Amino acid sequence: MEAQGKTKRSFKKPFAFAKNCVYRPLRQISNLERNLKLPADRPTYFTLNAPPSLVPAKKYSDISGLPAPYADPHTKLRFANADEYASMQHMPSDIINGYLTVRGYTSAVG
Amino acid sequence: MGTHGKVLVIDNGSYECRVGWANSREPELRFRNVLTKPRKDRKKESGQQGATETASGSGEAPAEIQVGNDITNIEAVRAHLKSPFERNIITNWNHQEQIFDYIFTKMGFEGQDSINHPILLTEALANPNFCRQNMNELLFECYGIPAVSYGIDALYSWEHYQQKRKKVSDALIISFGYSTTHVIPVLNGKIQLEHVRRLNVGGYHIITYLFRLMQMKYPVHLTAITISRMEKLVHEHCHIAVDYKEELIQWANMDYYDEHIMKIQLPYNQVTATNALLTAEQKQEKRRELALRLLEIKNRREREKLREDEQQLFVYNKLRQLYEQKKVQKFERALEQQQIGSLEELDKLIETINSRIKKAQDRAKAAPRPSKQQEKLDKMPKPPEGVSQADWLAELHSKREEILQRKQARHQQKSEQAKRHTHAAQERMRIISTLARSEKRRKANGEEEDDGFGMNDNDWDVYKRINRYNDDSDSDADNEQLLECEKILSHYDANFDDGNSNQQAQSAAENYQLHFGIEEIRVPEILFQPSMIGSSEAGLAELIAFVLKLFPANEQQRLVNHVYLTGGCAKFKGLKERLAKELLEMRPFQSTFSIYEIDEPSLSAWLGACAQARKSNFSQTLTTRKDYQEHGSEYFKEHKASNIFYPTPKE
Repeated sequence: MEAQGKTKRSFKKPFAFAKNCVYRPLRQISNLERNLKLPADRPTYFTLNAPPSLVPAKKYSDISGLPAPYADPHTKLRFANADEYASMQHMPSDIINGYLTVRGYTSAVG
Repeated sequence: MGTHGKVLVIDNGSYECRVGWANSREPELRFRNVLTKPRKDRKKESGQQGATETASGSGEAPAEIQVGNDITNIEAVRAHLKSPFERNIITNWNHQEQIFDYIFTKMGFEGQDSINHPILLTEALANPNFCRQNMNELLFECYGIPAVSYGIDALYSWEHYQQKRKKVSDALIISFGYSTTHVIPVLNGKIQLEHVRRLNVGGYHIITYLFRLMQMKYPVHLTAITISRMEKLVHEHCHIAVDYKEELIQWANMDYYDEHIMKIQLPYNQVTATNALLTAEQKQEKRRELALRLLEIKNRREREKLREDEQQLFVYNKLRQLYEQKKVQKFERALEQQQIGSLEELDKLIETINSRIKKAQDRAKAAPRPSKQQEKLDKMPKPPEGVSQADWLAELHSKREEILQRKQARHQQKSEQAKRHTHAAQERMRIISTLARSEKRRKANGEEEDDGFGMNDNDWDVYKRINRYNDDSDSDADNEQLLECEKILSHYDANFDDGNSNQQAQSAAENYQLHFGIEEIRVPEILFQPSMIGSSEAGLAELIAFVLKLFPANEQQRLVNHVYLTGGCAKFKGLKERLAKELLEMRPFQSTFSIYEIDEPSLSAWLGACAQARKSNFSQTLTTRKDYQEHGSEYFKEHKASNIFYPTPKE
């Protein structure tokens, strides 16, 4: 299959990756490196990740992006003023969910 | 260098790939690092196109995979775009091979039997050995290159800046990439790899964030909001807020909003757009035309039917004549032909057709029926006698207001009752319990104890109040009245505005506009507040503070004396000012720092790499085929701008 997909070019020599090497998602590479049991002080791609933030996340309105002192307990959306709240009341549920997923909100219930 | 010939420099970024010879002033080839495989059903089409192309002289087999600039309409294949990258790491080697094929074909290697030039290739910071192994195998085994040199794009970019300005040995490089943002401390000209930190937020996230926001803000224009358009918006109109909170508060002000809002006009079709905005009169005119046309069709059909009937009647009459002339044999044969049972049946048929024709002729003669429009007008209520029309209309207006208010109150009550702990809900529970209690008392006594409930008709309203669903007879009646009122008002009162006509006031073009206001600062802000897109990582400012804290105070000072901004996202306006503000906040009082913007942030890595390749000692940084064969496939030569080689431990 793969060999058919490749176009023949004069500058290429016949070559094929080992089957399990052609595509490895990042997660697999991460596991691969972890299993090597490298010395703890050795920097690798996966140890260079930024640390988690220690500053409490600021709250912004999901709709307008303005600072949001309020949250609707029903939809869990944050809003900045009454107008936004009113507009939220007529919002279809897929848009509400869209806003929530963009913010990375996942309810405990799922 | 002389032994190897010209060096091919490839800056293999996850957004854009730049390819060129080391001695050129700018890359010969720049393309989006993506490819697409046309779907099976389109293959034939593209194959034919390919065939015509080959006929015109390129001599190339029809390529079924399109790479980079070969993709004519990127939006059409957006869903099928493939990239070799996951974040800034190459994970799909088939795709990378296609990309190399594209690069080498475009650079004119077709016809040669190998790539006989050393290659300088950028790679991710702390690229896993597994990936480099694959890259080495691909380059040496498949393309047969003589030597390769790997380096980090941010360091090349910094190199480029130093060449143009002055040499420095310590720096804090902040590299803004498409999928990641790096904070890279350099001391004594050497990268402090263990203290580098990477924020997994970049241009890609900014663009996607804007894309999602706009889609949700304008669900109607879903198809008009494309990634390409959002990219353009991000590239040209977004900027980093120096003081985010301050600017947000400004945007909350309506005057500021009106003054600074950017409106993007989407393409729209004048005809269909205006169709929805016709005035009531024009609509009626259209409806009338349609009715006329329908009537005409109906008349024509009736005439045809009439003619048919007449012919039929003629035939039947002939038959009848046969019978009267006593030609029995002929008559019976004819009856059989017409599938008619007997003489009686024939008579009946003739009669029905006769009556049908008569009816049709009557109808044609009669005056055309009054149109329904006219009927409607006649039915339209007139002001009661003795009351002027204006007074009557005013009365209707107030009546309508009243109904609307009642409706709203009911709605309010309903929504409040839906939630617990509200006063309305508790009141409802109280009423229910009192009602239940009185019923119980009745039973306990064994005899009816009349509390007088129901004597008054209004008593029954209690049940209306505790009814959760207020769509009872009351609201139905109200709705009917409301409709009636609105009908009359809209008929008599030209200025009547029932709320729906608001949209008509807007022009068609305005309905096809995207408002782009707060987004211009909100979207790139995710670099500083990744929590906005649900990432738990520290923002850029926090990350810089974190990295600095890994060093003793004197080294911190050395680092912040030269802060360099590079990478595509460094082009955001206001970024330098914002970082200056953040550094001022995190650095000790009255200490100094300086921030430098690298010019041509998205190209400087390639230019720096070229400069490196032109150096006399470049050949020392090359990993040759011999090295590859001797030290294994993960080996590479370290140099000033490269990663640090840590061999994978043997089992």
